[in-house]
Amino acid sequence: MPGVLLKELIKRYGEDVAAVQNLTLEVKPRELVALLGPSGCGKTTTLRLVAGFLKPDAGEIWVGDHCLSSPAMVVPPERRRMAMIFQSYALWPHMTVAQNVAYGLRFKSALSRGDRERRVREMLGVVQLGGFESRYPGELSGGQQQRVAVARALVVEPEILLLDEPLSNLDANLREEMRFEIRRLHERFGITTLYVTHDQAEAMVISDRIAVLERGRVVQVGTAQELFEQPRTRFVAAFIGRTNLVHATAAGPDTIAQGDLRLRVAASNLKPGAAVAVSIRPHAIRLRDVAMPTGEAGANLVRGRVERAAYLGDAVDYEVGVTGSDVRLRVSALPGLSFRPGDAVVLEVPVAACVPLADSAD
Amino acid sequence: MERAVPVWILAAVTLVVLMALPLGWLGWVSVSSEQGATLAHYAAVFQDPHLQKALWNTVVMAFWVGLASLAVGAPMAWLTARTDLPGKAVIRGLIMASFVTPPFLGAFAWVMLAGPNAGLLNKLYRGLTGSPEPLVNIFSMPGLIFVVAIYTFPYVYIMMVNTLALIASDLEEAASILGAGRLRVAATVTVPLVAPAMLSGFILAVLQALALFGSPAILALPAGFHTITTQIWAFFHYPPKMEMAAAFSIPLLLATALLLQLQKRLLGRRGYASIGGKGGQRRNIPLGRWRYPALAGCLAVLACAIFLPYSMLAKAALARSWAQPMTWDNLTASNFTFTFFEYSATKSAILNTLELGVLTATVGAGLAALLAYVANRRLILGHQVLAFLALAPVVIPGVVLAVGLFIAYTRPPFLLYGTLWILFVAYVTKEMPVGYSQADATFKGVHAELEDAGRILGAGRLRVLGEITAPLARSGIIATWCFIFIGVIRELSASIILFTPNTRVMSVVIFDLKEEGQFGAIAVLGLFMLVMTFATVILMQRVLGRDFMGVRE
Amino acid sequence: MVQRVCSLIVAAALVVIGVATSAGAQSPHLDGARKEGKVVWYTSLALQSAEKVAKLFEAAHPGIKVEVHRTGSQRVLQRLMQELQANIRNADVVHTSDAGHFVLLKNKKLLMKYTPADADRLPAGFKDKDGFHYGLRATVSVIAYNPKIVPAGEAPRSWKDLLDPKWRGKLVTAHPGYSGVIATHVLALVNLHGWDYFKKLAENKPMIVQSAVDPPGVVASGERPVAANTADYNAYATKKKGNPIEIVIPQEGVPLVVSPTAITAFAPHPNAAKLFTDFSFSREVQQVLADSEGLYTGHPEVKYPADKPKLSELKLLQVDPEELERRNEEIKKRFVEFFGA
Repeated sequence: MPGVLLKELIKRYGEDVAAVQNLTLEVKPRELVALLGPSGCGKTTTLRLVAGFLKPDAGEIWVGDHCLSSPAMVVPPERRRMAMIFQSYALWPHMTVAQNVAYGLRFKSALSRGDRERRVREMLGVVQLGGFESRYPGELSGGQQQRVAVARALVVEPEILLLDEPLSNLDANLREEMRFEIRRLHERFGITTLYVTHDQAEAMVISDRIAVLERGRVVQVGTAQELFEQPRTRFVAAFIGRTNLVHATAAGPDTIAQGDLRLRVAASNLKPGAAVAVSIRPHAIRLRDVAMPTGEAGANLVRGRVERAAYLGDAVDYEVGVTGSDVRLRVSALPGLSFRPGDAVVLEVPVAACVPLADSAD
Repeated sequence: MERAVPVWILAAVTLVVLMALPLGWLGWVSVSSEQGATLAHYAAVFQDPHLQKALWNTVVMAFWVGLASLAVGAPMAWLTARTDLPGKAVIRGLIMASFVTPPFLGAFAWVMLAGPNAGLLNKLYRGLTGSPEPLVNIFSMPGLIFVVAIYTFPYVYIMMVNTLALIASDLEEAASILGAGRLRVAATVTVPLVAPAMLSGFILAVLQALALFGSPAILALPAGFHTITTQIWAFFHYPPKMEMAAAFSIPLLLATALLLQLQKRLLGRRGYASIGGKGGQRRNIPLGRWRYPALAGCLAVLACAIFLPYSMLAKAALARSWAQPMTWDNLTASNFTFTFFEYSATKSAILNTLELGVLTATVGAGLAALLAYVANRRLILGHQVLAFLALAPVVIPGVVLAVGLFIAYTRPPFLLYGTLWILFVAYVTKEMPVGYSQADATFKGVHAELEDAGRILGAGRLRVLGEITAPLARSGIIATWCFIFIGVIRELSASIILFTPNTRVMSVVIFDLKEEGQFGAIAVLGLFMLVMTFATVILMQRVLGRDFMGVRE
Repeated sequence: MVQRVCSLIVAAALVVIGVATSAGAQSPHLDGARKEGKVVWYTSLALQSAEKVAKLFEAAHPGIKVEVHRTGSQRVLQRLMQELQANIRNADVVHTSDAGHFVLLKNKKLLMKYTPADADRLPAGFKDKDGFHYGLRATVSVIAYNPKIVPAGEAPRSWKDLLDPKWRGKLVTAHPGYSGVIATHVLALVNLHGWDYFKKLAENKPMIVQSAVDPPGVVASGERPVAANTADYNAYATKKKGNPIEIVIPQEGVPLVVSPTAITAFAPHPNAAKLFTDFSFSREVQQVLADSEGLYTGHPEVKYPADKPKLSELKLLQVDPEELERRNEEIKKRFVEFFGA
C-alpha cells in the first residue's frame, strides 16, 4: 500500500487566480488525511489534481515510487488505480446497484465473471446493502445511495481512495452515523485515503491527520488534538473549535500585556514590544468566585466581571469583561457554578492554554 | 491542445459556410454597384414611400403581436402554473399544439373562417344578426395581428410558466401576512418578480412576428399591404432586385440582433426571480367562483388557435366547396385523390421534406450535441466561442438568411442553389440555436461527476462517453432531433426563396397552391403536415417520459 | 394604343382545313425521347389542366415522364431566370400566358427554333414570325359574378361599370405580378381606358389574389361577389363544376390572351421536348383543352362547347407582345402603387 506525496503543487484558473499555491503534503501509507478548509480554499481542486482530472501548472504528485502528475505529463485517471467518492455520489441512474458496483471490476481482466459477482455481493454485504442488487439508484434513499457509492469505490481495491465531501448531502443524524461507518471501513481495509471536507467535526472523527487549507496552501498539518491545542495561526485557531483571540503586545519573552491584563503564555521567545495574538480556548479557562482561594499553581489569574451568561444544559457560556482592559473572554464552565451578569469573578488561565499564534503580526 | 485542432477547423468551416459567407455577401451586395461601393440602395430603400410603408407595417404588426401575446400568454401561464384551474394538463397540451402548428396553416384556415364575406364565422354572424357588415375582416392589419398572435403567445407562455414555477409561494405569502390583499400581492410581489420574463417573452413574440413570412403573405397581400418579409420576397420577382433585397434585409437583421441583446440583458438580471427556487413550496391559489370563467377564457383562446382552424382544415379537405354547408353532396374524397395521386408535386415534396427533415435533424442534433458536449466539459480552449457560434444564427430571420444564402450559393465556389443542399444549409443554420440549447440543457443535466466516476474506476474517455454519457443523454438528444425535425418540416420563410422546382418542400407546395386558391389540396397537405408534426411530438414525449427513471435531483 | 379587332384572323384559324394529323406515323423524336426518359415542363396552365395534359402524354408515350412545374406566368419566368443565373439548366419546355416573356427570352437567345408538327396550320396570332414560339392556347379575360349574391340585372356589363362605388369592397382582382393573363389584361385596358381606370378601380378596394385561376373560386365562395378580372376558362371550369358563377363579356371588348409555348435553347431533353411540343399541338390535346378546360386554341379542327361564344363572335382587345415585354415593369410597378401590394 503506497503513500501519496504532493510536491509544491500550483494550479491556476485563468491568468491570476491560483486555486492551489505551492501545496505540499504527504499522506503516509494506510493513513487517512482530511483536507479541511472553507469553500474556495482549493481542497477540491487538490483532490482533482490527485485524481488526474486536472494537470498541475507546477509541482508533482507521487504515489509510491511513481510520479503520476507533473506539468509535463499526467497519467489519466483510469490508469491511476484510485477510487473516488463524489459529493453527488455520481451513481449512474441507468445502471442497477449491482451494475454500478461492478463497473470498475470490468477493467480488471484477471477476474472471472463469477468472481466479479461474488465480490460485488460481498461488498454490498459489507455496506449493509445485501439484496439491493437489482434496484436502481433512483429507488434508494440518500444514505443507501451513499453506501452504494462507497461499495463501488472499495470493491476495486484501490491503492488510493479519494473522498470529496461525501457526507454533505446527508441529514445530520445520518451524517454522524456515516462518519463512524467510514472510519470503520478505513480501519478494515486500510486504504491510503484523502478526504475533503469543510466540516471540522467530521475531519476530527474520521481522520488520522488533518491538513488545514487556506487560500490554496496547507497552513498546518497535524492530529486533531495538535491542531486544537497548538493552532499555529489565527485561521487554524478560529477554524477548529471556538476560541478567544487576544490581541496584545509582548511585555517580556513569555508575557503579553493589554491594558491592565498581563498573561504569561506558552512561549519564551517573544520580542518585547511586538504585537502578539494569543488563542485561549473557552473551556480551558476556569471561573472562580473572587473570595475563593487560588487553585492551580502558576496559572494566570485575571480579574473580571460577568457580562453575559447563557445556560446550555451541559455547560454555561459566559462572557467576561477583563478589569482594566477592553478584552472580553468567553468561558465555557460546568453548570455547577452559577454566576449572574454583574458578578465580579477571577479567571484562572493556565499558561499552556495561552497559545501565541505565528501570524500575529498580520 | 493539439487534439483541439480538428474541432477548430470543423467549427471554422461550419461558421464560414453557415454564416460568414451568406451574411458577408448580403452586406456586400447591399453596398455594391458597378461603380464600387455605394449607399444608393439604402437611400433607394428608405426613400421609397411604398417601402417605408412596408417597414412601418412590420413595426406595427410586430408590436401589437407582442402585446397581444403578452395579454393572452401571461394570464394563461399564471392560471396553469399557480391556480386551481380545472383541466390544466389539457390546456398545457393544447398550448403546445398551437406552439407547433405552422402559422401559415393557421392563417390559411382563418381565411376560410373569417374572410369578410365567405368566411364561415362572418356568414354565421350575418345569419344571426341580419347585419350586412362582416363581424371581422381577416384581410386587415388587426386580422393579421390576431392570426399571428394566436400562434405566437406560447412563447410568452413558456417563458412565464418557467419563471412562475420558480417563485415559491412563501414570497407571496410573506406579503399577505403583512396585510397585502390578493391583488396587491400580485402587483407588488408576483408581477415584479416575473417582469423580466414577461418583457423577454414580449421580445420573443415580437421577433417571431418580425421574421414571419407565411401569414403576412396570406393575409396582408390580399389586403394590399406589404411587410418587410413579403417585400423582400417580392424583390425576387422578375426582374430581380437583389441589391434592394439585401439592403432591405439589413434593418431586419439589425432589429433582431438589438432586440435579442435587450432580451439577454433582461434575463441576465433575472437572478432574483429564482429566489427560493429550491426549498420553497408552491401552493395553488384558489380561484373560487372564477374557476370556470377562467377556464372558458383559456378555451376561447385555444378555440381560435386550434379547434376552429383544425376543423376548418378538416372540412376543406373533405368538401367539394369549403364555403358550402357540409352535406352528403358536398362530401368528397377528390381532394385527397388529387393531392396524393394526381398532383405530381406532392410526392416529391413529401420526399424532399422528409429527406431534409431527417438529414437536418440528424446532422443538426449531432453537431449540436458535439458542440454542447465540448463546451460543457470545457474540452478545448475557447469552448465559449463554440457556444456563441451555435447560438448566433438566432439573430438571422429566415428570409434574410435565405437572401444571403441565395447570393452566396448561386456563384462559385459553392454552387448549391438548385440542390437540396442549400435548403439543408439554411435549415441547419436556422435550427442550430434551438438544437444547441436543447443539447446544452441535456449535458448540463448529466453531471460531470458521473463521467469522472467512470474515469477513476478505469474507463477511458471514449468508453465513458459510450457507456455513461450517451445513454444518459440519449433521450435529450432524441428530443433535440425531434425539435429540429418539427422546425424543418414547417419552414417556409427561407424555403420560399431557396427552392427550385425540383427541390420543393411541403410548405412551398402549400404556398404555391394557395396562390391559385386550391383550398382542398392545401387542407389535405396541411393536415398531413400536422399529422407528421404531432407524430414527432408524441414520439418526443414518449422518449423523454420513459427514460427519466433514476435521475436524482 | 393598339385596339384591333382581329376576328378575321381568328375566323380564318377556325376554318377547318381538314388535313389529317400524321396519326400512326412514328415521330422522328421518339427514340431520342425514350433515351432521355423525361421532359421538364415549366407551365402556367392551370394546375389540374397541366396535370391532365401530362397524364395524356405519359399514356401515349410510355416510359417518358412529364415533370410538371406549374406556377404563375411571372413566377415561371422568375424561376427560369433565377436558375440560369445559378447555371441551372432544368427546363425543357416553357409555357406562360405572358407573350412578352417570349419576346424577352427570344432576344436573350434562350429559345430553340422549333416548329411543332401541326403548327403551320395555326392562325397568324398564334405564330412567332421567327418560328421560336407558338400559341398553345388562348383565353380572354372577363368579368365574373356570383348570381346568388348579385342578381343578373344588377351585374356589371362593362369594365367601366366596375368603377361604380357600389362595388366597393365587393371585387376581387388577380395580380399582374403573378399572372400573365392579368398582365395582358392590364395592358389592354390601360391602352383602352388609361391608367386612370386602375387608379379608380383601386379606390373600390378589391381583394388582391395572385393567380387568374383564383378569382372564380373567391366569387363562387361568395367571399367577393364580383371578379374584376379572371381568365374566361377558369371561370368556365368553375361554373361547369356546378358553382354559382356567371361570366360577363364586357361591352368594350375582351383582352385576348394567347399563351405561347417554346423549347429552351438549353433543353436537357431536347427530343422529349420536341415530342411533347408536337403532342401538345395535336388535335387530341387541343380538343381536351377546349372541352374540359374551356380554352380557345389555334387548332383548326377543334370543336367548342355549345355554351361558349366563338372567338369570332367576340370583340377582342389585342396587345402587342413587344409592347407587353417593354412595359412589363411599368405594369407591375403601377399596379402595386395603386393597389398596395
